[in-house]
Amino acid sequence: MKIIWEKLEKNQYYTAIFKNPFTYVTGAILLSVLQIALLASSGNPWGVSGAFANWGAWIFEAVGGSVDKWFYFSSEGAQNTLKGGFLNDTGSIQNAGIIIGALAATLLASQFKLKKIKSVKQVIAAVLGGLLMGYGARLAFGCNIGALFSGIASLSLSGWVFALALLVGAFIGSKLLAKFFM
Amino acid sequence: MKEYTIDCLGEACPVPLMKTEKKINSIEVGDVLIVQIDHSCAMKNVPEWARTQGYNVEIDEVADGEWEVVIEKTK
Amino acid sequence: MSEEIKSIQRSGTRAPRKPKKSQIPYGIALVIVIILIGVALSYKSGNLAMFWIFGIGFGFVLQKSRFCFTASFRDPWITGSTSITKAVLIAFAITTIGFTAIKYGAFVNGLPIPGMNYVVPISFATVVGGILFGTGMVIAGGCASGTLMRVGEGFMMQMLALVFFIVGSLLGAYHFGFWKINFISNGPKVFMPDYFGWFGAVVIQFLIIGCIYVAADLWQKKKMGA
Repeated sequence: MKIIWEKLEKNQYYTAIFKNPFTYVTGAILLSVLQIALLASSGNPWGVSGAFANWGAWIFEAVGGSVDKWFYFSSEGAQNTLKGGFLNDTGSIQNAGIIIGALAATLLASQFKLKKIKSVKQVIAAVLGGLLMGYGARLAFGCNIGALFSGIASLSLSGWVFALALLVGAFIGSKLLAKFFM
Repeated sequence: MKEYTIDCLGEACPVPLMKTEKKINSIEVGDVLIVQIDHSCAMKNVPEWARTQGYNVEIDEVADGEWEVVIEKTK
Repeated sequence: MSEEIKSIQRSGTRAPRKPKKSQIPYGIALVIVIILIGVALSYKSGNLAMFWIFGIGFGFVLQKSRFCFTASFRDPWITGSTSITKAVLIAFAITTIGFTAIKYGAFVNGLPIPGMNYVVPISFATVVGGILFGTGMVIAGGCASGTLMRVGEGFMMQMLALVFFIVGSLLGAYHFGFWKINFISNGPKVFMPDYFGWFGAVVIQFLIIGCIYVAADLWQKKKMGA
């Protein structure tokens, strides 16, 4: 059995698709094809971070909180999504798919390794970075996918304004990183 | 010719690249720098950066999901 | 990697190789599980199964190409490299064509234009949100899609970042009413074809993308000399 995997890993076609990384431009083309196909088939472009707010609401409700009075969740659509739960929320299922798809790509390349947290700095970076992204994404109606990629592709000027703000944020982030997290 | 190793295992982007850039500026021409990484993105951007600088670069997959990027400072 | 001839001389003090164990069988097993989950979801609803497959596709492509929206904004500041920035611009150009075709097709047939809830108001909240998000993604080492992709790759740091991304989202949702009343509700929604016509909007979009592409290329030449 072992021989099969070794042969497969050396096969030039397997290597080209599953072992070696694609170029950035190949990635850009494939993501664009998926984006367009998603809009054509579902009527909406790709979004990622909106589902995270629902995950937060479910966890908050599981520990006894309630978001029923919150303006953000007040629309009928949002209430229905929250009532339907994780397994009926297309955005949540899609996000789970991204994690599992990346895991599959890593395993098929035989490159999986569990990477432990190395230092307190990494803990602070993850906590602070996560909080900033989560809060920021709600203000701007999305992340690099929903507000940026899908916004710009939808010919919305908001995507370009968001891009400019991101560029400023990335500059601040780079300075902070060099100073505190290296 | 000296050989240096920097351990970037467990470091996320862009830290491996920033450490590589810092270290390579402090070593002599002809020295070799080995960067140990386990971040799949760094395995692409560290060699790419070093090649645009004109250095010789080799990538060695030492274990599942672990690489050594060997950079020879040529100029 | 093709077998390269070792040209760089290394001293003999190399650590003994860990024995490699192929993970491909686990990968194939996972692909089977992915298909089974897809089939199970399709009994619930075909739409859910479709989003599952799209998610798998996005995750696979993101990981294979190490596509990183964070790096496209960060690398120009850190190393001066704009290779990912240019790839992102190419993605913008391709999707502009595809999206506009779909939207225009609906428009000329008198149907509602799809995806219009992604044309959002421009306000002070967009700018604050973008700056916070941009700072956070660089510190945490990945944006939303990048964080999910790296969770799949086994990064504990990004698993922690995801937990706090969710906490931050909940906080943002809690304060959303404040931002909505004070800023967002006064912000204009600008769908470019409403102002410049369909053709004009696409031309302007390509001019913007083209100018940024050239600027990105010059930036890299200036910063890295290549």
